[in-house]
Amino acid sequence: MRKISSFILVLVVLGCSTVNRSDEQAFLDSLNNLSLEGPMISEEVIADIIQQIPSPLEISYLLKDAGTQYDYSMLNAPANASNYNSNYQKAINLGIYGTDLGYANIYEENQDAIKYLNSIKGLANDLSIGQFFDFTTIAKLATNSKNLDSLLLITTQNFNSINSYLQENQRSNLSVLILTGGWLEALHITCQVALKNPANEKLIEKIGEQKIILDNIKLMLGFYTQDPHISDLHQRFLELEKAFEQIEIIRTYAEPTMEEVNGILVVTDNSSTTVKITDENVETIRDEVSKIRVKVIS
Amino acid sequence: MSEEILKALTQLYAIITKQDGGVTERERDFVISIFNEDLDQDSIQEYLVLYDEYVGYGIEVVEPEKKKLTSVKDSVKTLAICRKINKTLTQKQKVVVLLKLLELVGADRNFTSQRMEIINTVSEVFNIDNEEYKLMEGFILYTAEDVLDMEDLLFARKEIGTLQKSNEIQLNITGELLFLKVRSVDMYFVRYLGSEEIALNGFAIKPGLTNQFSHGSTIKTPGGDALYYSDLVRHFLQEHESVKLSFIAKDLEKKFPNGLIGLRDINISEGPGKLIGIMGASGAGKTTLLNVLSGIDKPTTGTIKINGIEMFSGDTEKVKGAIGYVSQDDLLIEELTVYQNLYYNAKLCFADFSEEELDRRVMATLASLGLDQRKDLRVGTVLDKTISGGQRKRLNIALELIREPAVLFVDEPTSGLSSRDSENVIDLLKELSLKGKLIFVVIHQPSSDIYKMFDKMMIMDVGGYPIYYGPPVEAVTYFKAATNQVGADKGQCQTCGNVNPEQIFNIIEAKVVDEYGEFTNKRKVTPVQWKGLYDEKFKPEVIDEIKELPPLSLKIPSYLKQAFIFIRRDLLSKLSNKQYLLINLLEAPLLAFILAFLVRYRSSPEGDTYIFRFNENIPVYIMMAIIVALFMGLTVSAEEIIKDRKILKRESFLNLSWNSYLLSKIFILFSLSAIQTFLFVLIGNLILEIHGMAFTYWLALFSISCFANAMGLNISSAFNSAVTVYILIPLLIIPQMVLSGLLFSFDRLNELVSTKGKVPIVADIMASRWIYEGVAVRQFKTNEFEAKFYDLEKTEFQADFRSSYWIKEVKNQLNYAIEYADSENQEVTAKVNRHLVLIKNELIEEAGAGVVSDIDLIIALDPEKFNTQTGLVIRKYLDDLAQRYLKEYNQIVQKKEMLIYGFENQLGYDLSALKNRHYNEGLADLVRNLNTKERITEFNGRLLQMIDPVFNDPKNPKNLLDYRAHFFAPKKHFLGVYFETYWFNLAIVWLMTTILYIALYFEWLKKGIAGLESVSKHFFKHDSN
Repeated sequence: MRKISSFILVLVVLGCSTVNRSDEQAFLDSLNNLSLEGPMISEEVIADIIQQIPSPLEISYLLKDAGTQYDYSMLNAPANASNYNSNYQKAINLGIYGTDLGYANIYEENQDAIKYLNSIKGLANDLSIGQFFDFTTIAKLATNSKNLDSLLLITTQNFNSINSYLQENQRSNLSVLILTGGWLEALHITCQVALKNPANEKLIEKIGEQKIILDNIKLMLGFYTQDPHISDLHQRFLELEKAFEQIEIIRTYAEPTMEEVNGILVVTDNSSTTVKITDENVETIRDEVSKIRVKVIS
Repeated sequence: MSEEILKALTQLYAIITKQDGGVTERERDFVISIFNEDLDQDSIQEYLVLYDEYVGYGIEVVEPEKKKLTSVKDSVKTLAICRKINKTLTQKQKVVVLLKLLELVGADRNFTSQRMEIINTVSEVFNIDNEEYKLMEGFILYTAEDVLDMEDLLFARKEIGTLQKSNEIQLNITGELLFLKVRSVDMYFVRYLGSEEIALNGFAIKPGLTNQFSHGSTIKTPGGDALYYSDLVRHFLQEHESVKLSFIAKDLEKKFPNGLIGLRDINISEGPGKLIGIMGASGAGKTTLLNVLSGIDKPTTGTIKINGIEMFSGDTEKVKGAIGYVSQDDLLIEELTVYQNLYYNAKLCFADFSEEELDRRVMATLASLGLDQRKDLRVGTVLDKTISGGQRKRLNIALELIREPAVLFVDEPTSGLSSRDSENVIDLLKELSLKGKLIFVVIHQPSSDIYKMFDKMMIMDVGGYPIYYGPPVEAVTYFKAATNQVGADKGQCQTCGNVNPEQIFNIIEAKVVDEYGEFTNKRKVTPVQWKGLYDEKFKPEVIDEIKELPPLSLKIPSYLKQAFIFIRRDLLSKLSNKQYLLINLLEAPLLAFILAFLVRYRSSPEGDTYIFRFNENIPVYIMMAIIVALFMGLTVSAEEIIKDRKILKRESFLNLSWNSYLLSKIFILFSLSAIQTFLFVLIGNLILEIHGMAFTYWLALFSISCFANAMGLNISSAFNSAVTVYILIPLLIIPQMVLSGLLFSFDRLNELVSTKGKVPIVADIMASRWIYEGVAVRQFKTNEFEAKFYDLEKTEFQADFRSSYWIKEVKNQLNYAIEYADSENQEVTAKVNRHLVLIKNELIEEAGAGVVSDIDLIIALDPEKFNTQTGLVIRKYLDDLAQRYLKEYNQIVQKKEMLIYGFENQLGYDLSALKNRHYNEGLADLVRNLNTKERITEFNGRLLQMIDPVFNDPKNPKNLLDYRAHFFAPKKHFLGVYFETYWFNLAIVWLMTTILYIALYFEWLKKGIAGLESVSKHFFKHDSN
C-alpha cells in the first residue's frame, strides 16, 4: 500500500524532487567554484614507487604453502561491487577483488573466481579501463576450470597494462588505489590466516615485512590528499602506521656468492632480514586493517 | 369469417330488409349474391333458410300498424349484433359490411326512415365518422340522374368539368365510373353506372354494384383504355402532385472492370409518386441497375439527371440528399436501440431541429412503421436477435424515410421476410409513393399481392438487357402474347385474381427441348431477342424535365457538431457492448501484469530480493510495452471503419463530413489508448518498481498507441474485410519489432539498408524505434540517480573516448602516412591517401575549422602536398590535444569524486540506495553499448564512436534538415536546434500519426490498393491472352 501511494505521489508531483533542492544546489555551486588542481608530484616518481611494491599474489602462494583452508567469508563479497559509486571506491575495490581472485584461484575455487572476474569487469568498465579485459575470451575460458591458469595470466597481465595505461593518462591515483586495495586485502587475508595459525612464523614475519610497503603506499596516498576520499584514507593509514611503528626490521648484509651451475653463472644473495614482531603487534595491525577495510568495502 | 359473425350479419340483413313492408325479391336476391361471395352452395342454402326465417319470407305481414314496436325491438337486437361484430371484425371489414347494408337497401331503392335509421345506428356503433357515412350513402345511392359533388369521390366519364369538390377524370366510356375513397381505412370502391362491358381485373363489372378497388387493380374499357390503381389513387392525392421531381436516366451502360457488361441501353424517365419494381433472373443486373441509378456506381456511359442535375458531375452534391438508398443488408448500429439508431440519424440530418422536434420526428417515423412499441429494444445482430427481420427491414427503411428523400432505392426489401412482413414493407413503400416519392425496388419472387402493388415493373434479362417496362399485370400478357400462348389476354387468374410472376420467368427463360424431350441449355428466346422485341414494343416515354432543385428537408450540422454526434453515437454503441468494453479495459492491465510479473525476479547480486537496478529485463520490458501498445492500438482500430462501412454507405447520401467522422473515431480511439496505456504503465511500472518514470512511459506508449490507431484506421478504411485486416496486423507489427533497435543492432543489418553510425532510414519509418530510443534515453538520462551525474559523465566519457581511442587511432594513421608518404607502391599510396582523407575529416570536425597550428588542413593533407614536415606538426597538435583531453577528463573525474563525496558525506545521500531504486544496469549497458568489441570503427573516411552513444551528441549536421543520428543519441538536431531525444522522438511519432491521418482523410491507401488491383488485372489479362 505504501508503495502504491508513493507511486501515485510520484505521478502527481512529477518532476518535483523529494530532496531539498536548495541544499543540493548550494553544494553544487560550491563545487563549481572549486579550482581543481592535479597532484604536485610527477607521474614518473609514482611509477617508480609502484614498481617497488610486490604483487599481492605472492602472499597468496605463501598462504597455500602454509596449508590453510580456503575461507570465502574473509573475502569481499563480489556482490558488493554494485555498491561502489565513486571512482575511489571502484578502484580500491578493484584491487581488493584482484587479490581475492588470486586467493580463490590458488585454491581452485573456480566458481568464486568467475564471480570475482565479473565484479572486476564491472568496475573496470566503470573506470573506463574495460578495454583491458577481453571479456568474450574471459567468459569462454571461464567455462572450463582447466583454463583458469590462462585466465589468471590474462588478468595479471591486464593489471600491469592497466597500471601503465593509467600512468600514461595521468590517472595514477587510480593505480595507487588499485594497488592499495590489493595490498590491503592481502594484508587482511594474511592477518586472518595468521590468527588461525599462530604457530606459523613465516606468516607473522610477512606481516611485519609490510612495514616497508606501507611506507611507500602512505607516501603515495599523501600525494593525492586533495581528493577528500583519499584524504580520509590517508588519515586511516596514519593510524595503521602507528601499529607498525614498534616493528623492527633488521637487515644483515653478507657478500653475495657466485657459482656455476650447468655452465650458467648463478648469483646468490646471502643477506638476511630479521623481523621483530610481537603477538600484540599482529593483533593491533589486524584490528587496524579490519577497520580500514570495513570502511573501504562497505 | 366465422359462423357466428355470418349468422350475426344474416340477422342484420334480415332486420333491415323486413322493415317497412318486408323484404322484396330483389333484396333477397342481393342477399343471396352477398352469400355467394363468401360461401359454397350448401352453406348458401343453410344461411338463406336462416335469413328467410328471420325476415319472415313467404309469410304475409298482417299487422302493419304495429311496426313501431317491432322497430324498437329490432333496434335493441341490432345493437347487440353490432357489438358482437365490433369485437371481431376490423374497421375495414366493418366498412365493407356497412356498404353492403347500404347496397342492400339500395337494391330496391326502398329508403324508408326506419331502414335508414337502423343503418345509421349500425354506422354509429361501428364508429364510422358521420361525414364518411354520408359519403358512403351518397356513393351507394347515386344514380346517373343525380348530381353528387363531394370530396373523396371520383367520377370517370366522357364529359367532365362540372363538379367542384369531386375529382374527375376523362374516360371514353358510356355511363360513368364512380370511385369512393374511405379515408379512415384507406380503401377504394368502384361502381359502374352504364351498359358497357367494363373489366375490373379482367372480370366484367356488374353495373350498379359496388366493388372494392384493391391494390394493383386495373379497370379496362372496351376501348382499350386502362385505369390503374396507382393512377387512380394519385388523383385522390392531388396535393402531392406539387412534388417537383423528374428522374431521367438516358442510355445507361455499365461495363465491369473485367470487361463484362452489366447494363445495356437503360432508359428510364419517371416523375413523382411511382413505385417501380425491378425484376430479373439472378445475374440479370438488378442490383447493378439500382446502384447505378442511385449514384453509388458510375455508369460507363449515359447520364442520370434528377431535376436536370446530372449525377457524377460537379453538382451532384445538390441532389445527393434527395436520394435514399436502402440496401439489402442491414445498415444498423447493432449495439444501439431502435430509437437511438433513428435518433442519431435524424440528428445528422436536421441540424436546425430542437431535441423536442427530433424526438417528435423520430417517434412519428417509428409509429408510421409500427416500430414505436419496439423503440427501446437493442437492434442486436442477426444471430443475437432482439427484433424480428421484418422490423429490422422496416427500421432500415425508416432510417432513410426520416429525412424524406424524393427518390428512394430499395434493394430486395422482402428477402428473408415472412409473407406478412413482406406485404407490410411493400405496403409501406406503396404508401410513400402515393405521397409523391419515386421509389425503385428490386424485388425477387414477389407474391401476387405484392406484385400487383407496383405501378410499373422493369424486367431485366441476363446480360443487363431491359425486356419489359410497364404495368406489372400486363407483363404476363405481354410475354404470353409474345410466345403465342393461350389465354394471352388474361393477366391474372380468372377466379382468384392472382398473378403468378414466376410465369413470366418461365416464359422468358424457356429452354429448347431436344429430340429426346430433354431440356437443353439453349433458350428459346435469347436475351438479345427479347431486347429486340422490347425495342419494338416499348417506346420510351419522356416526361418533362423539371428544372428546380428537388425538395430537400435536411440540414446537415456543422463539421464540429457532426463530430460530436458521431462521438456520442459511437461511444454509446461501444458502452452498450459490455464484452468489448471489458476486454478493452482489462487487456492492458492484464498484459502489464503478466509481463511485469514474469520479468520481475530476485535480481539483487545476492539473489535474495528484487532490486530494480539489477533487473536485466528492463530493456526488453520497454520494448514489450511498446509492442503491447502497438498491438492494442492496432487491434482496437483495425475494424472500426470496416464495421461502419455499411453505415457510411448509407450516410454517404447525406454528404456528411468524412473529416468529422474520422475525428470522432480518432477522439474515441485516442481516449481509449490513453486509458489503456495508463493502466498498462500503472500496473507494469508498479510491479517492476520503475520509479518516477510513469509519465515518461505513459506519454510514449500513448503516442505509439495513437500512431497504431491511425495505422489501424488506414487499413480499416482500405481493406474490405476484418479478416484481411487481422492477417495484415503481423505484417505491420513485426517490422516494428525487428527494427525497434533492441532485437537487432542497427550496426548488424544488411548493408543495403544500414549506414554505420546512423540509424538506418528503414528504421526511421518505424515508430517503435523512435519510442524505444526516446524512452530508453530518457529513462537513463533523467532518472533520479543519473540526473545528478549525467552532465559530468558526458564530459568524462567523451573526453576519455577522445583521448584513449580517437586520438590514438588518428595518430596511428598519421604515423603510417608519415612513414610511407614517399612510397612508390600503389597499394601503400592508396592507403596513405585514405588515411589522409580520414585525418583531414576528423581534424576539421574536431577543430571546427580548417586550420590547426597555422596549417591549412585541406592543403596540408592533400595527398599531393603532404610531407613529413606537416605530418610532424599535426602529430604535435594531436599530442597537445591528447593532453588537453586528459586534463579535462581528470578534472571532471575529480569533480565527480568530490560530488560523490559531498553527496554521501555532506548531504547524507545513500547513493547506492538511490541507484538501486532508479538506475538500471541492463539499460545502462544497452544505451552505453558497453558490450561492443569495437569501441571505435572506421567507416567512409570517418571514425565512428561506437561506445557510449548516449553520451555522444550528434555533431556537424549536413544541413538544416539533417535529423539523423546514431541510436540512443542524447540529443537530436533539426533546423539548427538541438532537442532532447525524448521530446524530439515523440514529435516524430506524432508527425507520423498526422501523416497517417492525412492519408486516411484522402484514402491514399485505398486508392493505392485500387490502383494496384487494376494494374495487376491489366497484367493478368495480358498473360491470359
